[in-house]
Amino acid sequence: MEGISLWLAVLLLLFVHPLYAEASESGRENAGELRFVDDQGRHLESATLMNADYQVKVTGLVADVELKQTFQNTSQQWREAVYVFPLPEKASVYGMTMTSGERRIVGEIREKSVAKKEYDTAKSEGRKVARVDQQRPNLFTTHLANIPPGESIAIELSYQQPVRYQSGEFDLRIPTTITPRYMPGEIVHDGPKSWQSGWAMPTTDVPDADQISPYTVLPQDLGPGSHQATVSMSIRAGLPVSRVSSPSHRLTNTWNGNTVEVKAENGHFSMDRDLIVRWAPTRGMAPSAAVFQEQWQGENYLMAMMIPGLETQQQVARELVFVIDTSGSMAGESIRQATQSLLRGLETLGPDDTFNVIQFNSQTASLFIDPVPADGNYLARARRYVGNLAADGGTEMAPALDAALNRRGSETADGVQRLRQVVFITDGSVGNESALFQRIKQQLGDTRLFTVGIGSAPNMHFMREAARFGRGTYTSINSTSDVERPLDELFGKMQSAVLTDIQVDWPDAGANQSAQPQRIGDLFRGEPMIQVVRGQAAQGEVRVSGRLPNGSVWQQSLDLEQAASGKGLHRVWARQKIDGLLDARTLGRDQSEDGQDQTKEKVTDLGIQHQLITPYTSFLAVDKTPSRPVDSLLASDNVPTLLPAGSDAGMLRYPQTATVAPLLQALGLLGLVFGAAITLLKRRVCP
Amino acid sequence: MKHLGLLVTVLSFTVLAFGLWIPFKALVAQELLALAWAETQARQMQVRPWPWADTWPVARLNFQSDSLQSLIVLDGAHGESLAFGPGQVFGDQMNAGPTVIAGHRDTHFSHLRHLGPGSSLELQSRDGQWRRFRVTDTRVVDSRFEQINTSALPRDALLLVTCYPFNGLEANGPLRYVVEAKAVPEELVAAVVER
Repeated sequence: MEGISLWLAVLLLLFVHPLYAEASESGRENAGELRFVDDQGRHLESATLMNADYQVKVTGLVADVELKQTFQNTSQQWREAVYVFPLPEKASVYGMTMTSGERRIVGEIREKSVAKKEYDTAKSEGRKVARVDQQRPNLFTTHLANIPPGESIAIELSYQQPVRYQSGEFDLRIPTTITPRYMPGEIVHDGPKSWQSGWAMPTTDVPDADQISPYTVLPQDLGPGSHQATVSMSIRAGLPVSRVSSPSHRLTNTWNGNTVEVKAENGHFSMDRDLIVRWAPTRGMAPSAAVFQEQWQGENYLMAMMIPGLETQQQVARELVFVIDTSGSMAGESIRQATQSLLRGLETLGPDDTFNVIQFNSQTASLFIDPVPADGNYLARARRYVGNLAADGGTEMAPALDAALNRRGSETADGVQRLRQVVFITDGSVGNESALFQRIKQQLGDTRLFTVGIGSAPNMHFMREAARFGRGTYTSINSTSDVERPLDELFGKMQSAVLTDIQVDWPDAGANQSAQPQRIGDLFRGEPMIQVVRGQAAQGEVRVSGRLPNGSVWQQSLDLEQAASGKGLHRVWARQKIDGLLDARTLGRDQSEDGQDQTKEKVTDLGIQHQLITPYTSFLAVDKTPSRPVDSLLASDNVPTLLPAGSDAGMLRYPQTATVAPLLQALGLLGLVFGAAITLLKRRVCP
Repeated sequence: MKHLGLLVTVLSFTVLAFGLWIPFKALVAQELLALAWAETQARQMQVRPWPWADTWPVARLNFQSDSLQSLIVLDGAHGESLAFGPGQVFGDQMNAGPTVIAGHRDTHFSHLRHLGPGSSLELQSRDGQWRRFRVTDTRVVDSRFEQINTSALPRDALLLVTCYPFNGLEANGPLRYVVEAKAVPEELVAAVVER
């Protein structure tokens, strides 16, 4: 018996020894490898909960939004939260306040680098500090340092966004999450691997990839109650509104005189898709023109909106090229929406038209070498091809644009001159937008590019700008049940007359100089002309003229004395001007080092004057008194965003890959040793 | 007192038996799976190794650690499949694109610790073709904060995933050991075979 227990003891020792060895080893490795480990080597759960509240006030064509982000620290440690979030693509952020308990600190606009420096200083001194930066026109980052353990701090952002008005319907879109973006190019970093903590590494094409790719997670990976939003909206359209609807959420509406109050039906909703609200004026009351005015710092600002009544159908032969994004980010609901859209597009082809289908992910492939006539045989082949598309791989958009926009000859085989239109169906989840816009502009020729945004959280900035550079227009699909209406709208526009060469003539000579946007793009059916000017009093008439495809001149004038008072027009103006300056730089009109600096300087000045966030100016709010003792540590926490509804997790979770076998074996052996010891002891005590 | 000793011993034997049953099952199952794999290749279709199985063999993985390891890879890592063999959690039927295979650290994938940069791996798909891979990196990740971004994986990547630390007792630990391998271009393989 003694022999057996000795053997067992030796066995146990052999078994336990590697455990010790491994424990010390793993402690050393983790400290270098992982981000969420505190000084004692313990793993920390993501402990910052985030909730948002949207207070939306719509006045005419401008929506004014108070966005309150609440960051709650549920850990026992001081925290810094970094949160990358989306805002509407034309949002101008003009105010920021940090609220901690009773204290309210109003943020100030600073130059970006200054803001960053002051933030870092305040952070290390233990003062509460918040900073909001712009990464992309529709992508922003909140940095918030020194959140006390167990407490919460709120950041209130004020921004305004234009309301889209087309074909007699108003449309407001509030994005709440980001579809993970694809970063083309080679990784230019020899640090940790590309999927370290879910943040992409900077690449040659997207140098700021690490700043615009938050970790995307499923709801069950978040802390309880995190990423929930509430919304309360009041619409004063300035005219009787007959119907308020949303293709994305269930809303409740109450009419209160001229105002419509809109709330989410369940009080709050998950931040996994864009919130879209549409409202339409009572039948027959749809406006065809509007003028708003505002006085700001002694200057007059005027906004004019006018819809040319274009109803004529165009009877010309067309060459349609459908480009469909089949990258990994389209997996799930998105690819179904995209194929449905494409099939719908095939139906609009006339007997004289030709077409082609191009799909792209990491590679680009086109169905036919040259565009083919839209007859039964080819259409059937196209339908089959589209039906079999699957989403996988990267989003290499540049070769696809090349394939769609470049054509060999201007005429097709049968010698008919055709109007060339490209329909680009994508979620726009790329990080190198401005390089792509440049490409579109360079290769466009007389082709027109139309974009269709797909999914719960498409990159609408891409849709809008790609269409603008491509002299086309854009739309978006929100669910498979809402495919027909937006698409029929778009295909209708593509088939009808286009108003080109639009000239706007303001009565004051100076106003013409300051009008923004400076060049009005071509207008499609149902789309309004909108321009904002500075230094124009509300008197006289503004004349708008353009040319129709048949060569005839279209003209209309608008009486400015009818102007209603508007709010925040100067910000709309400043934002448009900033966009114009940045556009010029994107298109390389001033490539020189000097020009770069000039653009930066001008944009910074505008940002500071009008108190707006720009690529070069940020909001900063600093508490004066330190709250964190210098000797206690500060952990940084990257707040994730939710995976957009309906999209497949491109992120694969690591499976559970251990069994209980070693534990059972260890327990078993330990038990046997005990058993042997007891027997041995008993024999010694009472032989 | 006498009964206590007996009780502890019997209980311990039972626990130990359960503990040994898992590796035993893993070993025996591989033998059964080898038959199913042969049939899969012969008939070019999914063959369930036993009638009530919820998975089927999709590939064979060979690698050299202290001895030659030849494992039948099953489809998916769901339910009980990992108890019988490593599971292919990502990748298509013909192993054309990137492939991710996960296995238990205490049974099939316990030998992964012997792999280092430069080690070679072989993967056979259903059509009998062998693809050769070379390990480029091994690292430890925390599964709570990292996931595999499948769209960012190169087409010629093979990832082997198992739990970490290898001798750990905790079955639900958050750490994973990842072996990254890259396919050796076909021409090179052909050249090696010819020689």
